[in-house]
Amino acid sequence: MAPDPSVDTVPPGRRRFVAAAMTAIGAAIAAIVGVPLAGFFALPALRRSERRWLEVGPVADFAEGRISKALAKPLVGPVWPRETGRVALYVQNQGDGKFALYHIHCTHVGCPVRWNAPAGRFFSPCHGGVFDKDGRVLAGPPPRPLDRYEYKVEKGVLYAGRIFKVNDRLEFAAWHHA
Amino acid sequence: MAPRLTAVLGWLQERLGTREQLTRFLFRRLPVGTTWWHTLGSAALFLILLQTLTGFFLAFYYVPSPEHAWDSLTYIQQEIPFGRFVRGLHYWGASLTIVVVFLHLLRVFVMGAYKYPRELSWVVGVVLFLVVMLFGFTGYLLPWDQKAYWATVVGTHIAGTAPFVGDYLWRILQGGVEVGTRTLGRFYAAHVLILPAVLYGLILVHVSMVVYQGIGPTPRGPLARLRRQDYARLYEESKGRGETFLEHLVRDAVVAFVLLLALAWMAATWSIPMEEVADPTDTQYVPRPEWYFYFLFELLWQFPGKWTVVATFWIPLAGVLALLLLPFYDRTSGRSPLTRPVASAGAALALAAVGVLTYQGATAPAPPREGGAVTQETKALPPALAKGAAVYEAQGCSACHVLKGTGTAAGPDLTRVGARRADAWLRRFIKDPSAVQSGASMPPYGELPDEELQALAGYLAALK
Ligand code: FES
Repeated sequence: MAPDPSVDTVPPGRRRFVAAAMTAIGAAIAAIVGVPLAGFFALPALRRSERRWLEVGPVADFAEGRISKALAKPLVGPVWPRETGRVALYVQNQGDGKFALYHIHCTHVGCPVRWNAPAGRFFSPCHGGVFDKDGRVLAGPPPRPLDRYEYKVEKGVLYAGRIFKVNDRLEFAAWHHA
Repeated sequence: MAPRLTAVLGWLQERLGTREQLTRFLFRRLPVGTTWWHTLGSAALFLILLQTLTGFFLAFYYVPSPEHAWDSLTYIQQEIPFGRFVRGLHYWGASLTIVVVFLHLLRVFVMGAYKYPRELSWVVGVVLFLVVMLFGFTGYLLPWDQKAYWATVVGTHIAGTAPFVGDYLWRILQGGVEVGTRTLGRFYAAHVLILPAVLYGLILVHVSMVVYQGIGPTPRGPLARLRRQDYARLYEESKGRGETFLEHLVRDAVVAFVLLLALAWMAATWSIPMEEVADPTDTQYVPRPEWYFYFLFELLWQFPGKWTVVATFWIPLAGVLALLLLPFYDRTSGRSPLTRPVASAGAALALAAVGVLTYQGATAPAPPREGGAVTQETKALPPALAKGAAVYEAQGCSACHVLKGTGTAAGPDLTRVGARRADAWLRRFIKDPSAVQSGASMPPYGELPDEELQALAGYLAALK
């Protein structure tokens, strides 16, 4: 009859060998399968320069000193995914060819902010966040001014690029997805 | 037993050799005091199985892409026979599962069943609870309607506030720089493939531990206070006088059946809230989370500005750790809640806090209307007051104030402000709040033209 299963039926040297072999093979399998899968899962999301320029519209559409909502068209390449059809943003024409392009998500937890022209303020509908026309926090819980897009003007057309954060003096602080 | 059946069982036994395990599983004895409360675990399992089954079938028609998700659900609900019912089972079943899983956790806490020797069952149970919440979070996006989209924007923003890894976490959750096609893809994969695998793996571990350790009894009599050294003896004694699992199974079945009836009734009669298809460019939408995340959303009010991370990260983290590690820091021998006042009081407090926050979330005032909307009521006002009401709307006052149940409760409710404040005071305050009341957080409205200011103050003063 076969002996009952027990640790002692395998000599210690062989046990160590089995442990070492299993560890090595296991680690190799984990690495060969795990590394590509982890990269496959996470890396596209972390890509920096993926965001292509968005076409906001002719500069002439944005009156000086005014803030208006614009629906920008992503200039997509041939590659999936196309993401959202249009991207909404607020455009402030500051004169002298200068613009500020504001992200519509509140810097608190992301509710869409509304531009209220008579009041000259942006309101967040979730927790009473209020921003002035330059995106500074006037009241409520948002921790920093409205985020902005970098922009360029080419042949009289305004384009929006990457998103960045600004500090309380409205100076560049960091790219949004650094 | 009928000879036919005996023969079949014998045939199976020869091939599978599982008779002994099965007998031990079905006829194991339970301790005295195994009650209806002890059916909550199996009820949760039943609901999870039901969610899995309805989920399988929804997957036949549902298409996880922004172009098709909303339409495919509309198709399920409007065109497919039983579509509304099947989706209803899944939709209401989700909420019911969360309720039952939570009650199960509560039962185990109250009966002190997380203590020796069931510490690990508790830990795995807490992880299961979190997995169930993740099912809720990922499933909420799939309909791709407005509330799904915006709740996920807020949810991923909240994840993004985590210290150090926030930004990475945010993008990994979204699968890119915004909530879009890839977010839907990964939420779908998580919801229907990864989370179920994790869930059932953990359930297997959880249930094996319950079978091995036996169920935690009602802490009465000698079982109310159990020291480690007496535990095995007293528990065995109690089992000697208790019933078998087979008998308890009837209770489990009754509860499962009643839950199914309730769920079927909900699915058949309640309509599923479905909003317009997601529009990422809509700046008038007011996001709201699903009810079981209200407490988190409401907590945000308490921690403004740079303290936000306390509400979005540190408190939830502390809560999860407090739950996970409970058996390791609560080492008292008492099992009845009365014999461990500290743990009971702490839990009652936490529960009350979550309850109050959830209630606040559920009874939050209606979201503010789009600026400038004139209601029937304002039209009926005398011209002077109507002008003030128009200024109120145009200036976006409702973004921070509640008036007759509409608005956001960031500042004081103005429904009866006229009873507290006079016209002149209001005028001064609106112009420069912090000059009138130090520490007032309302931004000044100094640029408001005088006549508008007068109209507004007059209107507010008349609200009594
Ligand atoms: S999301 Fe804007 S104030 Fe909270």
